[in-house]
Amino acid sequence: MSSRARRLGLLPAFGGVLLVLPLLLTPNLVNAVIKMMIAGLFALSFSLAMGQAGMLSFGHSAYYGLGAFATLHLMKAVERSLVAWPTPLLPLAGAAAGLLCGLAFGWLATQRTGVYFAMVTLALAELLLTLAPTWNSVFGGEAGISTMRMNSWSIDFASDRGVYYLTLAWVAGSTWCLWAFTRTPMGRLALAVRDNEHRVRFLGFNTHGAKTLIFAISTMFTGVAGALLAIANEATNYTIFSAQASANVVLQTFIGGAGTFFGPALGAAIMTFFARVTSDLTRSWLLYQGLVFVIVMLFVPDGIGGLISVHAHRLRASAFKHLTLPYLVCLVVGVLLLVGVVFTVESVHVVLSDAYAVLRRANGGALVPYSLFGRQFHPLSPWTWAIPLVSILAGAALLPVARRLTRHGWSRAVGESAA
Amino acid sequence: MSPPATAAPVLELRDVHKSFGGTPIIRGVNLAVKRGQRHALIGPNGAGKSTLFNLISGHYVPSAGQILLNGQPIAGLTPYAINRRGLSRSFQITSLFPRMSVAENLRISVMGRHGLRFSLFRPVRALAQVAAEVDEYLEKLRLTRRRDDPAGALAYSEQRALEIGMALATNPEVLLLDEPTAGMSREESAYTVALIRAVTEGKTLLVVEHDMSVVFTLCDQISVLVYGEIIASGEPEAVRVNPKVQEAYLGEEVAT
Amino acid sequence: MEFLIVSVLNGVVHGLLLFMVSAGLTLIFGMMGVLNFAHAWFYMLGAYVGFTLTRTVGFWAGLIAAPLIVGGCGVLVERYMLRRVHKYGHTHELLLTFGLAFIIEELIKLCYGDFPVNYAMPAYMKFAAFTLYETNYPFYRLFMGIVALAMFAALYVLLTRTRVGIVVRAATLKPVMVEALGHNLPVVFMGVFAGGAALAGLAGAVAGAFFPTGPNMAVDFGTLVFVVVVVGGLGSLEGALVASLMIGLFISFSVGLNWSLSDLLALVGLGGWAREVGGLLTLQLSTVAASMPFLLMLLVLLIRPAGLFGDRQ
Repeated sequence: MSSRARRLGLLPAFGGVLLVLPLLLTPNLVNAVIKMMIAGLFALSFSLAMGQAGMLSFGHSAYYGLGAFATLHLMKAVERSLVAWPTPLLPLAGAAAGLLCGLAFGWLATQRTGVYFAMVTLALAELLLTLAPTWNSVFGGEAGISTMRMNSWSIDFASDRGVYYLTLAWVAGSTWCLWAFTRTPMGRLALAVRDNEHRVRFLGFNTHGAKTLIFAISTMFTGVAGALLAIANEATNYTIFSAQASANVVLQTFIGGAGTFFGPALGAAIMTFFARVTSDLTRSWLLYQGLVFVIVMLFVPDGIGGLISVHAHRLRASAFKHLTLPYLVCLVVGVLLLVGVVFTVESVHVVLSDAYAVLRRANGGALVPYSLFGRQFHPLSPWTWAIPLVSILAGAALLPVARRLTRHGWSRAVGESAA
Repeated sequence: MSPPATAAPVLELRDVHKSFGGTPIIRGVNLAVKRGQRHALIGPNGAGKSTLFNLISGHYVPSAGQILLNGQPIAGLTPYAINRRGLSRSFQITSLFPRMSVAENLRISVMGRHGLRFSLFRPVRALAQVAAEVDEYLEKLRLTRRRDDPAGALAYSEQRALEIGMALATNPEVLLLDEPTAGMSREESAYTVALIRAVTEGKTLLVVEHDMSVVFTLCDQISVLVYGEIIASGEPEAVRVNPKVQEAYLGEEVAT
Repeated sequence: MEFLIVSVLNGVVHGLLLFMVSAGLTLIFGMMGVLNFAHAWFYMLGAYVGFTLTRTVGFWAGLIAAPLIVGGCGVLVERYMLRRVHKYGHTHELLLTFGLAFIIEELIKLCYGDFPVNYAMPAYMKFAAFTLYETNYPFYRLFMGIVALAMFAALYVLLTRTRVGIVVRAATLKPVMVEALGHNLPVVFMGVFAGGAALAGLAGAVAGAFFPTGPNMAVDFGTLVFVVVVVGGLGSLEGALVASLMIGLFISFSVGLNWSLSDLLALVGLGGWAREVGGLLTLQLSTVAASMPFLLMLLVLLIRPAGLFGDRQ
């Protein structure tokens, strides 16, 4: 009961932080938080289909994009005074587009299960991606469409702050809806379909209908996320349908943990934040994200959310003292491996870059020193390669120690909590 | 013991055929199960008992013939439509929702019966009627103490009880049980038979079973299926002494 | 007439290339139930290995080394990654290979940059095999077709005429039974996975020298390969062959035809109306050629959900 109370106390605190955040942050960071919230909602709605009903969609960017385009068209209509539609209600257009297309595409895709379902959703998204650039009137060709936000309800939407609160309100409302869904009869049915669709059919449920509806609810909220993105960016083009966008939401959801409710949003927010922060520092962010994903898949199959939930449910606060040392060692191992990998990747990146090739030509083809993290390194010097080698070897040597310590610490902590 | 069987059969098969790729498996089955009967379907391995169950429950579509439930044709309908018309089945290989709790497994069945299929606008906890019925079934199945455990964590005989309970909780008129005591020890089997007798009071039963002692304690009618045909049908004693049955199937079993 | 012959030839060659990649994918799926999402990325890896070796050692060395290196990667992936997550189910396996695809693509971008590289066939292979009316038909296209056919013949003989082939085919149908008969199933799995990867690598090395070799080639080709195996029926080699040829021909014809829906409607006298409406109705087939395979796949799924040659869900 105490862990439940703790969690219930956490939610208003988190909400309060989100409410005052724009007053504390720079506009650039406010924008980052907007994108994190949108990514979080996208991941949550994706995981309604995946985590709840076991439907792995590789084409959710389709509904994200359709939500964005529908909203932009409505915004353009408002701009030309064709309709009077208040800006705060614009995401309804995205929701409608997501719902309708989700019903149609979902009816088709849910005829199959498992990997077949994944392939059909992928093909549907690819279909849109290939059609969009040639269909000028709807998707604005290769350039896409852009428009302006209008002020309404005497709220200033020209500023990031207005957009922030609009996004926050919609993300919070949608998240509540998605959470409430898991508590409805339909939400429980989704879990049953995930566990054993065959049996559900013999208990009087039309599983195809159920899956279509669940998929459409998922795509409806995906459409809302797309709409919020459109409002924030005031523009989009056909690349929003790309496999990359679909891939990102899959990666983020599973890094966060598809088995828990808030895990996917957490994963999406963290990954979006790091993508943003590192975009100026490295061009290899996607590689790191892929590595994190594969490591999570191999060693932490339940994701970050799964880890947190195991700690919250199985341990008492007093038992955490057994885990301090093991987790500290794990942290050291993680940092060592991270240093080794990042140094190698970034060095390779610099040495193989065009700029470095130009530099070499200017020096008669010699392998001149390159600069990384504000220091000079010589590509042929053993000292340069000793850095990643030593840190990776040290990390690898410490890894079994860290695992043993963690295992011991964990069993003692669980033992104490159970006692 | 059981209520008197009325004249009209509640479940009737008329000349049902089923072939797979040209191989006939069910070759003209006629069967009538009257209301309130506890009807056993027995026969050697490969006789087509499971196929017949799959035909009745809508998993397969018959190649020819009619299946009537309360006089209405149901052949070719989807499993869920047949279930809604009042026929439910259990599976030989236990088929539960392993990651959901025992109570939730039963709740899915009960929800369907109350028409709460695609219900989105009220929380499931607020459905007092559903919760009460789930508790009732838990009590009947003697699973109350395990209500919050995941179904996948139950002992085998408990899983079998839940398997039957889920079919039962859709409150059908006709209940098809596919080898309810398969893979059980003698004690577990006796326990399960007693449980079935208790929970299916007043229902029409059609049971596939290999264990003859189970058949004779549980059922009041027996049909014998051999190579896709019913060779005998009637009261247990009459079937036991039927020479065709003796020859084809029972002889060896009764002798031992 | 000229258009017809050239289109058929191009389509068949393209189809055979598709088959080279989809054969491995469909075999792996049939045996292990794993849809290897990274399969087309093995194809790309093959192309880049070919490119690298062509620059340093020679074209033929690349052609021989590419399947070996990529097959070796397949062994590592199966042995140290897929086997680890097998217990979590097929979705988890699919996700793992999905992540690997991501990593392979980013590593390629890291080493070779974001733009296509100049992977070219040797000069002595750049000649016209024959001239048809006014079109010079490049020899290399025929060469690609021949390599694919040779591979198909080798695969066919291996699967139908050898002991290993019998075990592999049996394992696609009843893996548990094959294991019960005393065959080392994990090794068979690893072999098939590596073999499938090697085929994709070879296809990449061969095709990369003709088509552009760039970081996008995997995702472009990969979605087509998925279409092929779904249309053909997952797990069916014959289905993959038929579907590959079908889609190859489909693409090569739709690229060359300027038909649109309005032309179709013109046949029933609605041409003028259709041109006024514009949008979808006046899109030319050639501009939406890339969408055609996906439409075909949806059509197949609607009419015959198990695929052309598939027999199970």
